[in-house]
Amino acid sequence: MPEPRSGRRRPLSRRAVLAAAAVGLSTALTASLSACSSSGDVSSGGVTLTFSWWGNDDRAARTKKAVELFEKEHPGVTVRTSNADFGSYMQKLATQAAGGGIPDVAQLDYRQISQYAGGGALLPLGDALADGTIRTSEMDEEFVRTGLYEGEQYALPMGRGITGYAYDSAVYEKAGIPTPRPDWTWEEWARANRRITDLGLESPDGRTVVGANDNGVNEDIFEDWLRSRGGKLYRSQTELGFTEDDLTEFWTFCDKLRDEGVVAEAEDTSQANTTELSPMGRGLAAADFTWDAPFPGYTALLGDQVHFAPVPTADGRQGAYFKPSMLLGVGAGSEHPKEAAALVDFLLNDERAGDVLGFTRSTPPNRGIAARVARTLEGAEKEIYEYAQRMEKYGLDAPPPAPPRGDVAIQTAFKRAYHRVMYDLASPRAAAREFIDEAERELRS
Amino acid sequence: MSTVSTRAPARADGPAGTRPPARRRRARRREQRWPAYVFLTPWMLGAAVLTLVPMAVSLYLSFTDYNLFDPPRWVGLRNYQEMLTEDPRFWRSVGTTLLYVVIAVPLKLLLALGAAMLLKNLGRGRAFYRSAFYAPSLLGASMTIALVWRALFNDGGSVVDILGSVGIDTGGWVGSPDLAVYVIVLLTVWQFGAPMVIFLAGLQQISPELYEAAALDGAGRWRQFVSVTVPMLSPVVFFNLVLEMIQSFQVFTPAFAVSGGEGGPADSTLFYTLYLYERGFTASHMGYAAAMAWLLLVVIGIITLILFRTSRSWVFYADEEGR
Repeated sequence: MPEPRSGRRRPLSRRAVLAAAAVGLSTALTASLSACSSSGDVSSGGVTLTFSWWGNDDRAARTKKAVELFEKEHPGVTVRTSNADFGSYMQKLATQAAGGGIPDVAQLDYRQISQYAGGGALLPLGDALADGTIRTSEMDEEFVRTGLYEGEQYALPMGRGITGYAYDSAVYEKAGIPTPRPDWTWEEWARANRRITDLGLESPDGRTVVGANDNGVNEDIFEDWLRSRGGKLYRSQTELGFTEDDLTEFWTFCDKLRDEGVVAEAEDTSQANTTELSPMGRGLAAADFTWDAPFPGYTALLGDQVHFAPVPTADGRQGAYFKPSMLLGVGAGSEHPKEAAALVDFLLNDERAGDVLGFTRSTPPNRGIAARVARTLEGAEKEIYEYAQRMEKYGLDAPPPAPPRGDVAIQTAFKRAYHRVMYDLASPRAAAREFIDEAERELRS
Repeated sequence: MSTVSTRAPARADGPAGTRPPARRRRARRREQRWPAYVFLTPWMLGAAVLTLVPMAVSLYLSFTDYNLFDPPRWVGLRNYQEMLTEDPRFWRSVGTTLLYVVIAVPLKLLLALGAAMLLKNLGRGRAFYRSAFYAPSLLGASMTIALVWRALFNDGGSVVDILGSVGIDTGGWVGSPDLAVYVIVLLTVWQFGAPMVIFLAGLQQISPELYEAAALDGAGRWRQFVSVTVPMLSPVVFFNLVLEMIQSFQVFTPAFAVSGGEGGPADSTLFYTLYLYERGFTASHMGYAAAMAWLLLVVIGIITLILFRTSRSWVFYADEEGR
């Protein structure tokens, strides 16, 4: 490099700037799609199984304890566990599947079954069921069928969840609304929202407390609404089970209530990512649709006057159903399928494992274990257990088969499309049209 | 190259004239290059394995339908065609990203230049302020800061409350489709420190003689800025512009954090990269995502090329004075 001439600073040369810019361009562009993970499997004598799940710390601690019991029962078998939060777990498992091997035993989401079974990532469990390695005698037959893909059992449900309605009973009493029964209707629900808003209660931020969250974003509730009218979300693995008219009607109903100001405002609905940030959690609304497993979070946040009621119906026919909150599957590439199946059976059917695991994956599918554990429950957990029993007695339609591959994307598309209605960017019909287009594209591919 | 030719005689072996000079020079050059390649090997291996191969695979995947489970299925230009003709969200993400680039980049550069001008003439404390202004650039890319930002502009967040207390009632920015994108714009603009440091270095390169001469000719501060600072600094402006533009097209982390990973509300923060991520990792359409990545690469390349071409008319290089 030549010395700068005396006294004068060296001006920036064209070449220097171009070179620097080129370097900047290339480095900036190398940030690209890349996600890798692989895990070497080292077994030192005996059998080493891998087992992974998602969930909070409580679930992790309980699951590890149950796994220790299993290891004690099966000398020579070591189980290596790993867990993560839902989002990263989903991505990690997908990457592992692409790389040719999910863990020997993996906790799966209902939405993953079709994709993983169809993609050859899961081992069919027919043999293990036939020779009794995995027992299902204590489980509801229809519920076990949720792990079917094209007639073959690929996974078994680990917990049983159901949708419901968390509501503030004190507010309901004040408004003179009777306790919601399993056959209450959407019209009654709409009237309840109006009466609560008419009370003019003041929320923590000074606005009037409204009846409920805006459930137009909630595909699960739309499914309940459809089922209560005899419809379904999916006709097959490649077809939607409802029409543009159905969805337009549902969204028009939601949109009208929000326009009236008797359910939560758009800005509050779009921020509702957690119980704490939901309109009900923030004291802006008196009720919210939710799953049973998260319900204890509402009473913890808002107090014991919050109770769990059924989702409204069209005319008495309940749309809610028992859904596997998560399932257990065995990796197709497992070197020890027998031991893996034994671990699955242990986690599902062993009484001691059941005691340790409790309700950490909502109601255990094994009836005996559920009843045994239920005796020790109290408060909100007891309430959701009793709610499930009440609904079972009332009578629910059979759960649908596992949703198709595109379901994850379709569920987020549903929420997004209603956002456009909420913010007046699209009419209910236009949004329904756009959503159905997107969903059909998703189901085709 | 000049170092090679000056050192060459010292290492000459064999009597002169036995080989034609040109051939000998070439041979010697070959001989002296291989150590350079040996030292470059780790880098070249890295570039090949970590950059070139994945890029080639991604280019291949962009012509396939690949869901991570089944083997990729060749679909030709189907992904590109679907993107450009059938997917309204693709165009929404393009619109959002362009809006963001057009607003955030000039704002950030203006702020950086302004701060650099102020700091240039500051005597004591310059090092402190320079570091203080630069700090956000180090922190800003992190998820944590983006989450803090989200909290500040959410309903009940400090910024919203303070604006409310002076009578500007905006409501939560994060929940508003009109305002959410500006949360991210502000987060980007706040990180003006990095271009500022480059501007500052550029300002210090400008010879004081030029200002003295201008002052003698009766130029005021504004005149000096327009006629001396701006042209002399134009290569640095150009450099910052290209860099910031490229970075802005690829903004991801803040949009991911502020919108909770969904690009909401109502797709108002659905940046291109966020949509790409969603297609690939949430919806498992890796082929489509790869096609989006390649389209982005091509578009950024074209825009950069246009910037370079137009730069000839407004960027002044001191070493071209005589030409």
